[in-house]
Amino acid sequence: MIPVTHFMIISAILFCIGLYAAISKRNAIMVLIGIEFMINAAILNFVAFGAYDKEVNGGQIVALFAIVLAAAGVAVALAIILNVYKYYKTIDPDKIHNLRD
Amino acid sequence: MNDFLPNISLMLDSVLDSLLWFYPELVLGILFILVIITDLFFSKRFQNAVFLLTSFGLGVVGYFILLQLNAPSETTVFSGMIRPDKLSTYFKVILCVVSLLFLLFIRDNKELKSHDKGTGDLHAILIAVLFGMNLMVMSSNLLMIYLSIEMVSVGSYIMVGYISGTAKQTEAAMKYALFGAVCSAMMLYGMSLVYAFTGTLNFIDPAFLSGLSSVSTLSSGIALGMIMVGIGFKLSFVPMHFWTPDVYEGAPTPVTAFLATGPKIAGFALLIRLLDSLGGTKAALDFNEILGGIALITMIAGNFSAIWQNNVKRMLAYSSIGHTGFILLSVLAFSQAGQKALIFYLSIYALMNMAAFMLADYIEEKSGAKNLDEYKGLGQKLPLTFFLFVIVLVSLTGLPPTAGFIGKLLVFSAALEMYNSTGSLLVMVLIIAGALVTLVSLFYYINVPLNAYLRQSNHEVEITEIKTFKIYLSLFLTIIILVLGIFPQLLTSFIVI
Repeated sequence: MIPVTHFMIISAILFCIGLYAAISKRNAIMVLIGIEFMINAAILNFVAFGAYDKEVNGGQIVALFAIVLAAAGVAVALAIILNVYKYYKTIDPDKIHNLRD
Repeated sequence: MNDFLPNISLMLDSVLDSLLWFYPELVLGILFILVIITDLFFSKRFQNAVFLLTSFGLGVVGYFILLQLNAPSETTVFSGMIRPDKLSTYFKVILCVVSLLFLLFIRDNKELKSHDKGTGDLHAILIAVLFGMNLMVMSSNLLMIYLSIEMVSVGSYIMVGYISGTAKQTEAAMKYALFGAVCSAMMLYGMSLVYAFTGTLNFIDPAFLSGLSSVSTLSSGIALGMIMVGIGFKLSFVPMHFWTPDVYEGAPTPVTAFLATGPKIAGFALLIRLLDSLGGTKAALDFNEILGGIALITMIAGNFSAIWQNNVKRMLAYSSIGHTGFILLSVLAFSQAGQKALIFYLSIYALMNMAAFMLADYIEEKSGAKNLDEYKGLGQKLPLTFFLFVIVLVSLTGLPPTAGFIGKLLVFSAALEMYNSTGSLLVMVLIIAGALVTLVSLFYYINVPLNAYLRQSNHEVEITEIKTFKIYLSLFLTIIILVLGIFPQLLTSFIVI
């Protein structure tokens, strides 16, 4: 059986890649992909540790909910990004700065 | 699988018993579907159908919440998912009132009303968001926290980008959605770490605390800190406040008013829940001290940044960040007296902010003035509006004879009580800072009457003050604020914990 630390290391790496993609923000879609990485890192953790929680199965349930919610969030965000493109003709968050101090 | 079969009838029974505590949310669920159907099929023939249905439905929800107030549940229901106790029911009352005010606000907002999309969908989203906020204040499980925060967040993204009529609005929606999604993804990762450490998702379970104490402070600190990021996004405390001014400025004003009150209040309830389960023992690291530091920085940063703002909605956004810091102080002083002070302050905060944004919206509709320097000379043209605005701002500052003063007084006395019992230096520093930033806040609030009454505008515009529904509503709210400032026991006697 694969030890659980391996899962944790992989999920930590996934999370860091996602966070980097989200923070370096060259492209709004890339930010969304980064967010998806982060959520999937969390899901991996939940499923891996769900194996030790066979009675309540909390981890598995959270994984299912997280997948659905991530899809809902991405759908809304994509619709918003489409609207942004209509006005700015770019989806680079750094170039979209009408609102600032 | 076969091991579970004998338990199924038991589980079904417990779910059916739990439904007794779930009436307000059940009504909201049914209402959500009804509003969508009404909007699809009847809104052409009866223009007011959706509005009437929603307000009637919210009235029914409020009735059920009040019933719950008399007989709150002491235990968790739905196998430890939610805990509909008395405290959460008070929060639900506030949230229901906020939703009703928002409903009336969008009814009298030109921008939303005149859009050809109509406001029918906005009503449905409001109901879904209220559902999420109700779950948020009741949650006692990490899954429920994530689920409810996402419900509220996704609904609010749509609200902000509902019209997308200008470039600024789409930009605000995008910033909000991206920032929010990153924060909630971090929160989910933090939850997965906490689940790894404790093996349970139920955070009022004793195993939760003992599991957290068994790992090193660094690990549990990182995990809990990540969860705090998600809640901090909803509360917009420093350093998760960057989105606040941009989104508040860009969003349609009724939505701004809603975001400044509803989700924020629900977020505070969630924070109390979480701190309550972590408190008592020195579980991980001393969260109270970290939160105290955050409260201090938030108070100072919010209030000082507000001084330099010219846009009214931006100024109110920074002032709401400052208020967050202040409310965090009362969360820290969360004793018997602290609970009362917190609920009183939050209800007054909701009324004040709703009234302030309504008046700002009215002024913008009448004169087109979005910035403080455009307010010059408007005081004579819109006398009642600015009179009300000044009273609301006095209340936001926290001066007598308004309810804002009583709220601050209650929070300060609860904090002083805590200082006397614990002698914590941090609490004393927070009290002093709270008093000082109240002074600072005078500097930017005073800009409104200063420009409106004392300075003259160069170009004359003809404006007549036509009293719309919004003005009567804010007049009503202002009267409540004044009456509660003189007779606070009207509300405090209602809060019995």
